[in-house]
Amino acid sequence: MKKHSVITTFLSVAACRITRCMLRILHRGGTTLPGRAAMVFDKSILEVVSRDMEVIVVTGTNGKTTTCSMLRTALESADIPVLSNISGANLLTGITAEFTANASLLGKAKKHYAIIESDEAALKKVVPYIHPKVIVVTNLFRDQLDRYGEVMHTLEEIRTGIRLSPESRLCLNADDSLVASLASETKNPVIWYGISVPAENPPAEMISDAKYCIRCGTEYQYHFHTYAHLGGFFCPKCGYSRPDPQIEVKAIDEITAGGSVVDLNYPSGPGRFTTKKIRIALPALYNIYNAIAAVAAFQAAGYNKKYIFRALSTVHSSFGRMENFHYNGQELQMILVKNPAGCNQALSYLRNMPEDFAAVFCLNDKTADGHDISWIWDADFESVVTSPRCRKLYAAGTRAEDMCLRLKYAGADASQIRICHREEELLKAVGECGLPVFILPNYTAMLSLRGLLSAATGKKEFWKEQ
Amino acid sequence: MSDQIHEKGLRICHLYPEVLNLYGDRGNIICLKKRLEWRHIPCSVTEVKIGDKTDLTQFDLFFIGGGQDFEQEVLLADLSAGRGADILSAVRDGAVFLCICGGYQMMGTEYETKDGVKCEFLGAADFRTKGGDVRMIGNYAFRCTEESGGSTVVGFENHSGRTFLGDGVSPLGTVLKGYGNNGEDQTEGVRFENVFGSYSHGPILPKNPAFADFLLQTALNRRFGIAVLEALDDSAENAAHDTVLERVLQGSTSRD
Repeated sequence: MKKHSVITTFLSVAACRITRCMLRILHRGGTTLPGRAAMVFDKSILEVVSRDMEVIVVTGTNGKTTTCSMLRTALESADIPVLSNISGANLLTGITAEFTANASLLGKAKKHYAIIESDEAALKKVVPYIHPKVIVVTNLFRDQLDRYGEVMHTLEEIRTGIRLSPESRLCLNADDSLVASLASETKNPVIWYGISVPAENPPAEMISDAKYCIRCGTEYQYHFHTYAHLGGFFCPKCGYSRPDPQIEVKAIDEITAGGSVVDLNYPSGPGRFTTKKIRIALPALYNIYNAIAAVAAFQAAGYNKKYIFRALSTVHSSFGRMENFHYNGQELQMILVKNPAGCNQALSYLRNMPEDFAAVFCLNDKTADGHDISWIWDADFESVVTSPRCRKLYAAGTRAEDMCLRLKYAGADASQIRICHREEELLKAVGECGLPVFILPNYTAMLSLRGLLSAATGKKEFWKEQ
Repeated sequence: MSDQIHEKGLRICHLYPEVLNLYGDRGNIICLKKRLEWRHIPCSVTEVKIGDKTDLTQFDLFFIGGGQDFEQEVLLADLSAGRGADILSAVRDGAVFLCICGGYQMMGTEYETKDGVKCEFLGAADFRTKGGDVRMIGNYAFRCTEESGGSTVVGFENHSGRTFLGDGVSPLGTVLKGYGNNGEDQTEGVRFENVFGSYSHGPILPKNPAFADFLLQTALNRRFGIAVLEALDDSAENAAHDTVLERVLQGSTSRD
């Protein structure tokens, strides 16, 4: 470890705390500025303030925040104080802010455990400082292409991060051929998790982000599909195939709007496995993946799994992910969508609604969203737009016109789509529409809409929940 | 109009959709289909993948999209196994081609990586691409030449390859704002025979309805002698086009 002086540590922690405090007085949940302030005095302050802590890091395209929320709920239910970047600020600055603000002025960590979500490209910058005990990789899909280029590039970023952290135990999604390839060049111990049964609705014409064998270029074959390119893949030529998962869903008994019940097989002692019915309180298939990723993390960290099982049955949606609001006497559900794979999962959830509903699509193209919004053409809006249950459509965000156009080409009558440029106008409109409302925003659209809705419904801001 | 049209209508071929499908390329196919459907012109879309032996001479309009470098390697083998020759003869035959990013580069003579490794491409026209260190990313706009309809096109570009047209090879248009082919000479894309190449994914067609219709009209005219297309209500298309154009010309590519 590099040398850090007591003085720079003191200044660094103080700068971070003061900045955070100021932002909160101004009613802003600042997430990266305090980190930048801390790094002015000591660029690697993160190493000091995370010393001796036990850290689980979660990375991957989709599911980071929800998986972290499950892990946090589990540890907190065992009365263990947990440090976590709850706001989803997952770059080096945001993570630095979180750790630094929770340290004493001498740089000593006040909590022993941390659950951290890390952006895929930020992983390699973060792990050399925090020395994670466990690294969880959820999945890899095309996402925010103008920031990272391509899926393969993102995969290499994660691989670099893992190389810099040879002591960490890995929890890898066995069903994702891209994620599974991370195990091939490392000596890190691996816990595999996966779903060993086909999902209810097989993907129709989903574009695959991993069509060809990453080792030899031959087209993969599948024993079964779960969603997108996930499933029981194997290469008929070189033999690269889905590893056998230790944390394994053997059967899906039920998937409803209220959650899922699955048969989970997991190690219950040296060489022994147990199958148990697990209830997951969040709906949709992708939350089953998030749940078993969390179980795998508990397994890898050596924590008592009874806490994670209990947490899965009680966990609430986190921060715009299937989050419910009661607004103006109406039910609103917000589902963050950032890429085609996640969006298709959300759309498939809407398509299966048994009652009439209104759908709101909010599309921003700010830096945190990615300036490139082309991905909306890869998501299957057709199925929802043409559903007789979908009674009203709204388009909003800085790219509302593009969103509206996508809905038109998906089969909607463009003259019936209401474009709302101002968020207040949007909330007023949906508040009067007389139907349950599903709001599908991308990242920055979610942040600001959630802020407005929270203020209007008396929900707390994320930074007040701790 | 419809009695002029063969029952199969316009035959569209989506080439290598399983490999060249980055960045919402699928939106171009959706757009072509819908704009024909709204005019009651039948069409069929056939996906031709690596290894398929489908006869390419039957098609009126080809779409080739962009892809990841890793997957393009898989594709080169298929091209040299005979598909390349089929594509060249369709080009000479006057079929309409819309080629985006990787699909556009593929029509040129070669691609030279930044490490100096040369990769031979189809050579349908004299232009070449060099890999670079700088990624040219952002919303951009260009004006098509008169021979390509003269409309203004807005899109999103994201490429590190820099393309240079040979002497006498026409670009698709002139850059109004953004990088275009190489960030140097204000050219964007290529136009030869009925081939339209561009770096604009985004995808290119939905919010550029005039350009989309120019492609359709070129293909319909060649096949059925239809020179004029029925006008559509393009208010949603134009709203999306104008919003982006205004922002691009003002110089702000995003609204942070």
